[in-house]
Amino acid sequence: MTSGTAGIGRVRSAGAAPAATRRGFWLAAAGVLALLLVIELIGRLGLAGPSWPPLSAVLGYLGTPTARLVLGRAIGATGTAAALGLLLGTVLGVLLATLGTLLPPIGPGLDRLAAVVNAIPLIALGPLLINTAGRAATPTLVAALAAGFAVFVAATSALASAATSQLDVFAVLGAGRLSTLLRLRLPAGLPLIVDGLTLAAPAAVLGAVIGEWFGAPRGLGVLLVSAMQNFQANLLWAAALGASVLALAGYLVLLGLRRLVNRRFM
Amino acid sequence: MPEPGDPAIALSEIVQDFPIRRGSTVRALDGFDLKIAHGEFVAILGPSGCGKSTVLRLVAGLERATVGEVLVEGRAPAELSREHRLGVAFQEHALLPWASARSNIELPFKVAGRPVNRARVDELLNLVGLAGFADARPRQLSGGMRQRVAIARALALDPDVLLLDEPFGALDAVTRRRMNLELARIWQAQRITTLLVTHDVDEAVLLADRVVVMTGRPGRVRHVELVDIPRPRGTEVTREPAFHEIVDRLTGLLDEAEPGAVTEPAGRPPRSAA
Repeated sequence: MTSGTAGIGRVRSAGAAPAATRRGFWLAAAGVLALLLVIELIGRLGLAGPSWPPLSAVLGYLGTPTARLVLGRAIGATGTAAALGLLLGTVLGVLLATLGTLLPPIGPGLDRLAAVVNAIPLIALGPLLINTAGRAATPTLVAALAAGFAVFVAATSALASAATSQLDVFAVLGAGRLSTLLRLRLPAGLPLIVDGLTLAAPAAVLGAVIGEWFGAPRGLGVLLVSAMQNFQANLLWAAALGASVLALAGYLVLLGLRRLVNRRFM
Repeated sequence: MPEPGDPAIALSEIVQDFPIRRGSTVRALDGFDLKIAHGEFVAILGPSGCGKSTVLRLVAGLERATVGEVLVEGRAPAELSREHRLGVAFQEHALLPWASARSNIELPFKVAGRPVNRARVDELLNLVGLAGFADARPRQLSGGMRQRVAIARALALDPDVLLLDEPFGALDAVTRRRMNLELARIWQAQRITTLLVTHDVDEAVLLADRVVVMTGRPGRVRHVELVDIPRPRGTEVTREPAFHEIVDRLTGLLDEAEPGAVTEPAGRPPRSAA
């Protein structure tokens, strides 16, 4: 098991792979550039009407001090809600998965509960949470729900990912469930849990924006709604851009964390 | 209460069935009997799939016999493992990849909730010849070194019984031979009741006081060979005619046992009967 993963790591750093990686990078960069050009062209030619401005106009708008202030504040609010939601969702997801591992009989029930909760559209939960938890807390809570499910699923399989031979050794050594969890299942599963986090981070940004949609005091979701209703195409696009950058930033940060964790625990 | 004359390990009339699919089972062991004395080293030799690993897993408390009784020190194996009195090493080293050699050997202490006895860990690192590699992680060690760490881990708490399931099965022939000699030396120093499961005849004869040859599936005791080659057994033993005589005899028994395993009905053999 370990020798296999170590083998992959070695191949990657051995010199054969970098050429392919570099080609992949340039291909991806070319793809992004082409996409941006198409967006710009559609805007320039007015193919999609006045609600699709050229990208250059949006970027120009972002240069103005007011736009920077408004957007900066919104990104700060949404980022905070998403980060708190991710933290809350991670804690809840890992705790629930841990509970399912420590008390095996309730494991399947927890899986089903999580699936049912996840099946409820977040958009339907928004108004409900506004009425119960309040406008300020809703973005964080929706983000926590969105992220929590991804983390729960990842953590459940992560905690079951220790090798059979390792579990056998722990059993013969007389390790209790808690000791096996802390000394084997959690560290062995950490890379998979962090994998789940890389999926959960963009989900948390999406959840936070949806939560703000229903009338949070501030945030990208609020900006999106008001820009849409007031036909401020540039602001609308700038807010959408902000949300994408935020989700991407969260993903990249966790990708770095994953690299660190993999080096330590595999 | 166990009497002084009682065996350390007693398997009586063991029948072990494994479910393979709905409604059908495969019989891994059928009427298997074995008694091991205190301080005795017994090797179980058999063709692959004869259920020899199942015997070890029964003694380790990892499986429960369908019929029959397994007693270790007069009690159920699970009770002994709960008291942290069993040591085990498998073919897969099963070391924690994130922990150093030293902390892998310390694991049994931590699992048992006991303070780590550093002197004992140092002694074990010396015993298995890894004093200079205490801080190395498993992936920085060679295959043979990893197995040595796994054996040191199994010995950490001075267990009543040491269980070795093909501990050198994944090593190349040269390393394996060196590890056998090394294990003979380590065992000489510890003299723990040991059950070794292997398909390597040389390994069994070099290490054991008694070699039990099993039949093909379902596994039974086919032959018990008393190895009265004096200890310590070093590399010179493997060049003696007495050694080769025993090895040849046991190899012959294994070759005869093989056809039984081949005529098994189709279907995946159970994981633990390997």
